[in-house]
Amino acid sequence: MTFQSRRHWHLRASFLFAFLLVVSPLLPTISKAQGPNSPESEETDPATALSQILRLERVEVPGGAELITVHAKLAGLESTENDKWVPLVSILRDTLGDNNAENNRLRYMWPLTYTRPTTKQRLAAAIPFFYTRVGNKENLSRTPPPAVDLASPESEVWDKIFWTALQNILLDPYGTPIKASTSSYRRNSSDYRRSHIIRALSVLALYQAVKGESAFTPAEMAAIQGRLLLSEKTFGGLVDDSHLQTYYARKTTQARDERGHNWELLRQRAESEALYFEPLLMPDGSATHALLWVAKRDLIKQQGSRYDSRFLNIANPWTDKRLLNWQGYIETRYFDSENHPVDSQTPGAEAVDMIPLGLYGLDNPKIPMLLVDFRDSYNPKKREMSRRALNDVTRNLFSLSKFGNLPFFLGRTVFDFATGRRGMDINQPSRLQTYSQLKLLLALNRSMEPELRSEVSGRLEKMSLNPFENDLEAEASIATAQYEALLAYAKDPNGLAAKLEKDRRAEMLPLEHGDKAQFAFRLMNILSFGKYVHREELTDEMEDRLDIARRLQYHTRFLQQIAKSSADIDITWNLEDVRRSLRFIAEHGSEAGGSAAGATAKIFVRTKDDETRRACLDGLSRIHSSKAKNELLKISQNTDLDKVLRDLAAEYLRGTNSRVQPVAATVSGAPVVVGQP
Amino acid sequence: MRSEIIPAKAQRRKAVSLASLRLCVFAGILLFAATCFAQTKRLVVIKCDGLPYDVVDRYVKQRDPQSGKSVLPWIDYIFYQRGSRLSNFYVRGMSLSAPSWSLLETGQHLQIKGNVEFDRYTLHSYDYLNFFPLYLAGINGSRIDMRAVEVLDSLGLPMLSDAYPHNQRYTTYSMFLRNPRYSTLQNSLQNRFKKPPKELFDEWTMGFELRSALSEQLIKEMVTNLNDPKFRYLDLMMEDFDHIAHHNNDEQSHLFVLQRMDEVIGQVWTAIQKSPLADDTAVVLISDHGVNTDEKIYSQGYNLVKLLGSRMGGGHHVITKRRLMLDYSIKGVNPFVPLITTTTPDSYYLKGESTTYPTAMLDFDGNERASLHLRDSDLNMLHILLQQLQRGQFPAQTEKAAIDEFFSVIDRRRADWEKDLKQLQTELGALDRAIAEQRKLWESQPKKFTKEEQDAGLDDASKRIYVQLDRWQQERKEYGEYALALQNLLKISSEAFSPSKVKIADVIPKMSMGDRNTIYELQNYVVGSGPNGFVLNPDGSLNVEQSFVRIDYFSLLQSISVRNNVQRGITNRPVDLIATRVSRELVLPLIEDRDIDEDVVWVTTGANRQALILSRRNADGELSLRYLPISGLTQDASGRLQFKQISWQAGLPLQIFEDPNLILPGPDRSAWLSQWHTDTEWLNALHKTHYSNGLVGLNEELARHDVERLSTQDPGLSQEERLMREFAQRKRELVEADMLIIAQDHWNFDVRGFNPGGNHGSFFRISTHSTFMVAGGTNTHVPRALNIETPYDSLSFVPTMLALTGNLRDDSNPVPELWEKGFRKFPGRIVRELLPATQDRQKPTAQRIK
Repeated sequence: MTFQSRRHWHLRASFLFAFLLVVSPLLPTISKAQGPNSPESEETDPATALSQILRLERVEVPGGAELITVHAKLAGLESTENDKWVPLVSILRDTLGDNNAENNRLRYMWPLTYTRPTTKQRLAAAIPFFYTRVGNKENLSRTPPPAVDLASPESEVWDKIFWTALQNILLDPYGTPIKASTSSYRRNSSDYRRSHIIRALSVLALYQAVKGESAFTPAEMAAIQGRLLLSEKTFGGLVDDSHLQTYYARKTTQARDERGHNWELLRQRAESEALYFEPLLMPDGSATHALLWVAKRDLIKQQGSRYDSRFLNIANPWTDKRLLNWQGYIETRYFDSENHPVDSQTPGAEAVDMIPLGLYGLDNPKIPMLLVDFRDSYNPKKREMSRRALNDVTRNLFSLSKFGNLPFFLGRTVFDFATGRRGMDINQPSRLQTYSQLKLLLALNRSMEPELRSEVSGRLEKMSLNPFENDLEAEASIATAQYEALLAYAKDPNGLAAKLEKDRRAEMLPLEHGDKAQFAFRLMNILSFGKYVHREELTDEMEDRLDIARRLQYHTRFLQQIAKSSADIDITWNLEDVRRSLRFIAEHGSEAGGSAAGATAKIFVRTKDDETRRACLDGLSRIHSSKAKNELLKISQNTDLDKVLRDLAAEYLRGTNSRVQPVAATVSGAPVVVGQP
Repeated sequence: MRSEIIPAKAQRRKAVSLASLRLCVFAGILLFAATCFAQTKRLVVIKCDGLPYDVVDRYVKQRDPQSGKSVLPWIDYIFYQRGSRLSNFYVRGMSLSAPSWSLLETGQHLQIKGNVEFDRYTLHSYDYLNFFPLYLAGINGSRIDMRAVEVLDSLGLPMLSDAYPHNQRYTTYSMFLRNPRYSTLQNSLQNRFKKPPKELFDEWTMGFELRSALSEQLIKEMVTNLNDPKFRYLDLMMEDFDHIAHHNNDEQSHLFVLQRMDEVIGQVWTAIQKSPLADDTAVVLISDHGVNTDEKIYSQGYNLVKLLGSRMGGGHHVITKRRLMLDYSIKGVNPFVPLITTTTPDSYYLKGESTTYPTAMLDFDGNERASLHLRDSDLNMLHILLQQLQRGQFPAQTEKAAIDEFFSVIDRRRADWEKDLKQLQTELGALDRAIAEQRKLWESQPKKFTKEEQDAGLDDASKRIYVQLDRWQQERKEYGEYALALQNLLKISSEAFSPSKVKIADVIPKMSMGDRNTIYELQNYVVGSGPNGFVLNPDGSLNVEQSFVRIDYFSLLQSISVRNNVQRGITNRPVDLIATRVSRELVLPLIEDRDIDEDVVWVTTGANRQALILSRRNADGELSLRYLPISGLTQDASGRLQFKQISWQAGLPLQIFEDPNLILPGPDRSAWLSQWHTDTEWLNALHKTHYSNGLVGLNEELARHDVERLSTQDPGLSQEERLMREFAQRKRELVEADMLIIAQDHWNFDVRGFNPGGNHGSFFRISTHSTFMVAGGTNTHVPRALNIETPYDSLSFVPTMLALTGNLRDDSNPVPELWEKGFRKFPGRIVRELLPATQDRQKPTAQRIK
């Protein structure tokens, strides 16, 4: 093929795809039918239900850390080992061996169902367009891989950037097979990790709803969850810790909004089509999924009726002859005079034989996502594949990019807009989240009939596109085995304790080196593909400095949070807490930096309390940074302030009332006379 | 005379005593004067859309474990510790934003009855919530105020902010906005990105929140303007809570938003404290309604549009002003929202004619209620008869019967239609002349304005002249089209009548609902020809009962039930009650009361559980109401009403009798409830019940309330002025719906999208219980830490604010300066608990104050 003909071919392909993308939303989606299955909603008190199925375990790690693990009683398991208690998520908290929460640092998180894939799984994952599972991992002996390092989220960003660059610069030029294979592998690997992070998030959210003493402070919990949510974003690891709580709150609100919308959308669609809607509840009472049923008696009554499949995405039950002779799962339900589901003993309850039609995920943007079609197992899979296949074909096969090809850009934009806006279940964001949650729901929901559970579980596995995925039973075994390995690793002085020590030594880097040196070490780390990590020598003095550095960081963040939250902190905060942080910063002023000075100065502005203001001035005078001196100078020059405070600031600057020597300070680069009014 | 000799020492003592006395008196006078004249000089009003009092109160009392302070520390500090709060403040009328804010803005009885209103004759829509048309039309000067402000201006009802000169007020973006400041919009976008690069990077990574850009800018501008003593009235609207409560029912999301609002309130308070007028400033937190959000329940939607489009519901093409499933529609990206017609395939006789002949209009905004307009049932009948006759497939006898019926309908309505047409044409004549005058006025306006003139608002006043002209021209065109069609219809003569020669579009007004239906028509509403076609009586006349499909809309709506009802505690019947207005003349023959107002409200929850709400006013204009339990109200074709008075019992509309929170002076509920009581007495008795002041609210919503600008009785009016007032009156009357449908608790009629978090719009206490709190500087004398438990409603807000600022007399009349600006006597009670004890209320009266 000549260069020119290849270019023509490329152009034609672009136009063809653009055309197809524009017209395809107009074509009706076709779905087929076949197969059987049952549910029931959980009505017990969520807090009680949760305390019965979730528990926490803490294990001390040599060297000053603790491993905190959430265990759950998985009702959905066939195995009865450990009375069905399975460890799900472990988090390592580095405590520096003391009980002071100020120097704690959360480090690794292990979703215990997340494991290294088998060779077979790896090979399958590298095959382009191989959108299916290939069995389970069985032999486990190694320590599980952590999914996230909560203390070093930025490393993940550099990692992603590095691999993306590697893919584009080194691998893609080797031709379609290598390009398609490697990108497919990376995609599967990333999806696999994400699905387990999602499940870990769900487990932690459930654990949060358990009443009583928590292993994590609310701030820690929000930080973990915020960080995990941000791990989805390419640059999420670079987001400042101060945003985590807000981000988590925003995302939680958004998720609940979407859940409520989908709940109501599906209920209304069921009502319109004379079907029955049943929400499926997580143990905390949240409806994350829902089932649609058809009443057997209606199949005759409504035969041939008009049916609109929009948002339901399943075939017309009123023209489906298979339902009239349904051999699959049927459940008898009872309803009172107001159509509330009731038990069979309720006076006046009416019995209705029901056939399940579809199971939908509600935690999804825009529309409820079909996860199980009881008449056509491949219906949800086809929908899930649509976006992925489109991306793989255009990018890996035809090398079309939105950024380098105008017709394709326009076509794809119109297609994405139309399918997204209309809520068509093709080309939608992946079902990964709701799929992962359903696995958890199936494991935890105790009210679902076993026969229905196994039916749903079996069909759900068929939907999975990822060769790395293992089924529910296998995951329970993996989690148990991995937890045992992790415990052994944690107890081994050369295991987790050694890793922890290495991490602390790496953390000590800023204590010994300036910005330039740190940059150089970072560069060397990248150039050595992460093999080289600079670490400091571990001495008692360095350990003490690390302790102080962490506590300074804690107090600085606390003051920053306070300063950011209110125009007048006297009204909104307990000033004794504020002063405690100010005192700590003052006491360790020589270790504190510009950010501590900035936070202290902001606190000064936002309080009218004399004692707190004096503590701020004291702190600023002791912080070894030009920013602190500049802030003192600004205060000494602020004529709106009380003269006593201005004089005090000036005295600190002159050194007559401070323990530090006066320094030359400038504001906006202009030399000034120290202590001027 | 010894006694006359006063020793020098005693004289000195006396002189000192006198001097001391004089000094004391002088000091006393000074102190008294200071107290008298010390009052609020500046008002800062923080308006919160849909902020329920109970929610605020609960969170204020909740402690933050970390700080030990309230989780809403600023509201606690400002209003609970240093101010006053009304723990029983209610919306009067529906708990719906546009009507509710209109009461809070004007302090006068309700004129705006929904977030959207439709003119029955022209289908012109008044969309009070949509900002975009104003922003766009404002660029070329064809609009300057929000639609709600235009309506209030046309009725001569000034708003609280109008009490202040143009350059002394800073008003927020709200549905009652005058003249949008484009600079605010521009600055909001610019400032959104004026941040340190790392901050911007983090925001970009987490997703920009552009929604907050405008509110951040407004807060910034307000804080800046607070520092300028020139500004005497500033307001700020926060819509965040309403938004979140519609979408989310979880407390965590609610608290997250409330804490952000609390921070803003803190910023405003801090800015006030730093401002020169800190001691003279009162800050007010006010809300227009509550919301029925419940953490354990999703609010369920019922699609009335779909029902109306179905065969069972009449096969209507339905007009709405909100796009159905907005977020799932490609056309939904259009922010200007034209009239939306939902076409039905099940129409009985108007298939394919949805764009010319919609027959129902629905406003479901607020969602716990909907207002329904149906086309005049007689127009439907005429339309069907003409269609059938034009097909020409009938035997001669049937054709004759159909023609006879056609003219029978016209003749039955002829007198009313002719009278109305004549009046409309006269009004349009006056409108033509007014347009000509307005055009001249507009042409005489200066094109440029000095800075001083702009500060005085003269440029805006000039723009309003053009806007008025533009609006009148549009109205002239639209009403003219309706009048022409009606004229053509009335011109049809039975002599030489040939159906095939009549063009339906010429005689049946297109895009029009015609006149409001009577109760008889709503109970026997014609939706199509009968299944067996036209049926004749033995005498050869048309059997109108069998020849047409008819629907009783009251029964239909109340019989709706759903199969998917998975939440405990929710009924499967979405419709709670239906209310409509009936004329006194129809009711008088059936009741003992004689001296009642023109408007009677009929409210029904079913054939056997109904009520009439009667009203009357005493010489002082004080409103009294009576609730009359009835059953089986029907109207016959001649217009005569029938119903049976029944005793007080459980299950009646508003469920008053059985409510455990009813507060009555004695044990005999029936006796007290059967009597006439003032609106205040009803409010005191009912406010804690499930429907709170629903009884008063129904009267406020459905009865017509006199407005001076619409009064045609003033002898000083010229003929032209009288006609224009009649025209204005007509426009307000034409937006009245056929019926108001109220949803059951946790049901809603939202079909634009989904509001699972919660809704409002009903009369439930949870939706009407609203927030009103005040705090002020030392000179304002607003009491500290006061919880006012006496119930008040929306009508109290404006007079209280004017009293607080010394602009209201004891008799609720405004001071002369405000009278000149159009303010009139306020019907609501002042919240006296908020006022300083020695307030100067003896201000001189204006000459025209009665």
